[in-house]
Amino acid sequence: MSLPAREPPPSADASLSLRFDDSDRDLLARAFRSPGDGPRAWRLNGEAHRISLVDGFDRLLAWPVLHGVARYDHQVRTALRVLRDLRGRAILADEVGLGKTIEAGLVLKEYAVRGLIHRVLILTPAALTDQWREEMETKFALPFAVLRSIRDWDRKPFVIASMDTAKREPHRRAAQARPWDLIVVDEAHRLKNRFSLNWRFVAGLSKKYMLLLTATPVQNDMDELFNLVTLLKPGQLHTYDRFLERYVASPDRRVPMRVSELRGRLRDVMVRNRRGIAFTLPPRRVHSLAVRLSPAERRLYDDVTDFVRDAYWSASGRLPWTARLTLIVLQREIGSSTFAVAETLRRLTQSPLFRWDERERLEELRQDAAAITSNVKAGRLREFLKSVDEKVLIFTQYLRTLQYLQGVLEADGHRVAAYHGGLSPAAKDAAVRAFRGDADIFLSSEAGGEGRNLQFSRTVVNYDLPWNPLRIEQRIGRVHRLGQEREVHVVNVWAEDTVEANLMELLDRKIHMFELVVGELDLILGNLDERRSFEDLMMDIWVLRQAEDRRSALRRLGDSLVRARAQYEQVKDVNEAVLGGAEEAASA
Amino acid sequence: MSDIPPLQSFVVDALTDLGAVVSPGGSLVWVQAPESVQHDLEVPANFALTFDADRSREFEAELVAPGSYFLERLIAVIARRGQWDAARYEVSGTEWIPAALRESGLGPETGVRSHVDGIEDGLLWLFAFRVTLLSDEKRESFHLIAVSPSEQCAWPVDPSRPDPELIPNRSSGTFANLESGYRLAAETLRSTTSGEVDRFRARSLGLLEDEVRRIFGYFDRTIEELRESDPDGSQELLRAVMAERDRRLTEAVERFDPKAGASLCSIRAIHVPTARVRLEFPDRSGTDVPLDAWSGRLRGLVCSNCGGTDGPWRWSSPEGLRCATCAPSPAGSARPRGRPPSDTPRRGTRAGEASARSPRGSRARSRGASAGRRPP
Repeated sequence: MSLPAREPPPSADASLSLRFDDSDRDLLARAFRSPGDGPRAWRLNGEAHRISLVDGFDRLLAWPVLHGVARYDHQVRTALRVLRDLRGRAILADEVGLGKTIEAGLVLKEYAVRGLIHRVLILTPAALTDQWREEMETKFALPFAVLRSIRDWDRKPFVIASMDTAKREPHRRAAQARPWDLIVVDEAHRLKNRFSLNWRFVAGLSKKYMLLLTATPVQNDMDELFNLVTLLKPGQLHTYDRFLERYVASPDRRVPMRVSELRGRLRDVMVRNRRGIAFTLPPRRVHSLAVRLSPAERRLYDDVTDFVRDAYWSASGRLPWTARLTLIVLQREIGSSTFAVAETLRRLTQSPLFRWDERERLEELRQDAAAITSNVKAGRLREFLKSVDEKVLIFTQYLRTLQYLQGVLEADGHRVAAYHGGLSPAAKDAAVRAFRGDADIFLSSEAGGEGRNLQFSRTVVNYDLPWNPLRIEQRIGRVHRLGQEREVHVVNVWAEDTVEANLMELLDRKIHMFELVVGELDLILGNLDERRSFEDLMMDIWVLRQAEDRRSALRRLGDSLVRARAQYEQVKDVNEAVLGGAEEAASA
Repeated sequence: MSDIPPLQSFVVDALTDLGAVVSPGGSLVWVQAPESVQHDLEVPANFALTFDADRSREFEAELVAPGSYFLERLIAVIARRGQWDAARYEVSGTEWIPAALRESGLGPETGVRSHVDGIEDGLLWLFAFRVTLLSDEKRESFHLIAVSPSEQCAWPVDPSRPDPELIPNRSSGTFANLESGYRLAAETLRSTTSGEVDRFRARSLGLLEDEVRRIFGYFDRTIEELRESDPDGSQELLRAVMAERDRRLTEAVERFDPKAGASLCSIRAIHVPTARVRLEFPDRSGTDVPLDAWSGRLRGLVCSNCGGTDGPWRWSSPEGLRCATCAPSPAGSARPRGRPPSDTPRRGTRAGEASARSPRGSRARSRGASAGRRPP
């Protein structure tokens, strides 16, 4: 078909004719030239076709093949509504923590199973590309690749790209030159300004279906809502002038008018699930187990830190990226346990990344670490566990720490189910089953049961603290999620005068992170002006040589976080006022 | 569309047909796969299958469910096999003839007399098609069309009807009338699915119409507003807005443009005893019609009211022979095929043919003796 005329395109007498496949000729030419495969094969041929028929979107087909996706009614309803009623073009505007990513994955998978999508582009903030890829692969078995080079636009049909990369040349031209079956934009409130590069880039993409994910379609004023909806469905909220005239109270552009009519129009493009009674999660209680390191541990911690700072500001010039990464790992490991750091120190004594004098220092540090046979933090954990009479999840980032803890806790008589990335899928299942059964401790590495239902437990111990707060939140999310009915206890074990102590100062005392709902932290961190990741910011501060410099940098970051949280609260209120329940699917 | 066959029995049958040894074992099914299966399905020599997602990690069992990689591979392999089959339908005696006449509404109790002039070996084609309707959604259906090359007529068959016992006829060869049979089947499929296709088209175009109207409305009004607010404003801006409008319109057309396609899945040649039956109606008129034992369908009869060729039939005076749809009620013996009352025992060999009508002339007539000389 060509471009439609101004008048509606269909004409009454035109008809759609069944077009027969060219391959029919081939089959007719081949048929009966050999005896064939027999009557059963003929019957099975028909059954194979009948089993694989697609008939609209009467139900979700893909549920059985999803892995680690709990079935929540509001997500099923949302996916079906997007597929059937909104015909694949929607703003998924659930409140945080209700699973927008899962809903997008469901829609994506249903299209994929039906053979309706062959080229898909997911646009996310840079920090989330790998997380999206992992989630799409592990939960939905969708083979996405993160964009690494310009050639990937041709080579990869299912691409995840950071918005910042994709919108700039030469990627912009490459992305816009191709038709996409489906575009997903995460954190779509970044498309709030229709004069921005982001908005114009997405508007310029040729697409059949599009999902825009944001918990806060309105950030500052109502224009942003108009821009988002117009990107998806121009005219749905009238023209810009008419939109202002009809739905925006002047002079304050944050205040909506004719709210019920506006919400009615939004229903045709937006699904917004809210936390109704069914989705109210029980509160979290935070416990701090602060310890003072033993003299030997303190000395080792300080020596490792000195080494890291010296190497970081090496006189030999800019440190190679790999060496910088190694230093970050070293600093994070010493925050976990002396056992975690010992192995890395051993490897680094052989590493060409460091000079011979540095390697000598590393060897001394290794010997110091090896001489320490127990950690004060573990002792504090054991004390805590004596006071608990229920199942406990303990998280650590490092396998060596996990192995150390497993030995210590089993010696105390605990039944420990260990879970880490090195286990086979069956062994992981067995660990979860053991924890469900008679094991009282689930000792998990960072891979800690993503997507598994562990809500029968309610106590999470962070034996060490990842510098990425979203990782901490994911840990807590293993038990503080839909289905949890009891108060959740979050126990943080950390040592004084360490990076982790700084982290606690920022996250717990400044923004009360442990009281937030899963997903809110993401939005708060997104409000930080900084372009660098939170982990990098922490490292930048930690490697400053002067204590006073570190203190003031920490103060500045703390202030930024407080402002980011206040901004988030304000945005939340505005969205509630404007959108309310544009779609009330979840609370029913 | 027909009922979907049970997944588990399909998978077990399919693997067995491919040469695998399949042993059900509780919630898992154990499979010993020959090399060809290992290669085609990308599986090891011994593996487990499960139809329960919760058990898929046990013994690293392959999950079989819509959308699972294993099922997609299996379906692709099976759909490449069994694309043609030649078989013979055998039936002993001649009891099937009066039974078929009764089921067609022309038993002796209706006053229609019949006698068999002879039984010969006839040929039927069965063409299986997959129909796909596509716009921003996809709707698919599966159809079987039977063709009698000797009478040059075709009719749809219910794909879920039980497959009668057929004797494999393994001899290969070419059939001169295969191509014309396919054309006839394709035409019948077109006519059978025309209603569904038209509805799909109307729905898609309705959505396109809404989309186009909204896009024009938005962009035209935006252009007006720009002109009103700044009569001497940038022409470049206006051109950009118009270009954006055209891009959106193209996108809408690509999204909602309806397409209807059919592909031939498989062909079966069935050799079947076919009786030449002489029917004599109470008004003393008569006709010779063929009746095959596989379909039980009297071919060559035409409804005096609608011109349809699908039974069952009812003869009455002065209307003559009419199809079940056109027959004056109560229809009594003239029930539409495929919808018998629940207490009526169905014969496995000819149950459940879907009724379909080909709109022909409305002139009341019996094709009678001319059936064999009917133009293609």
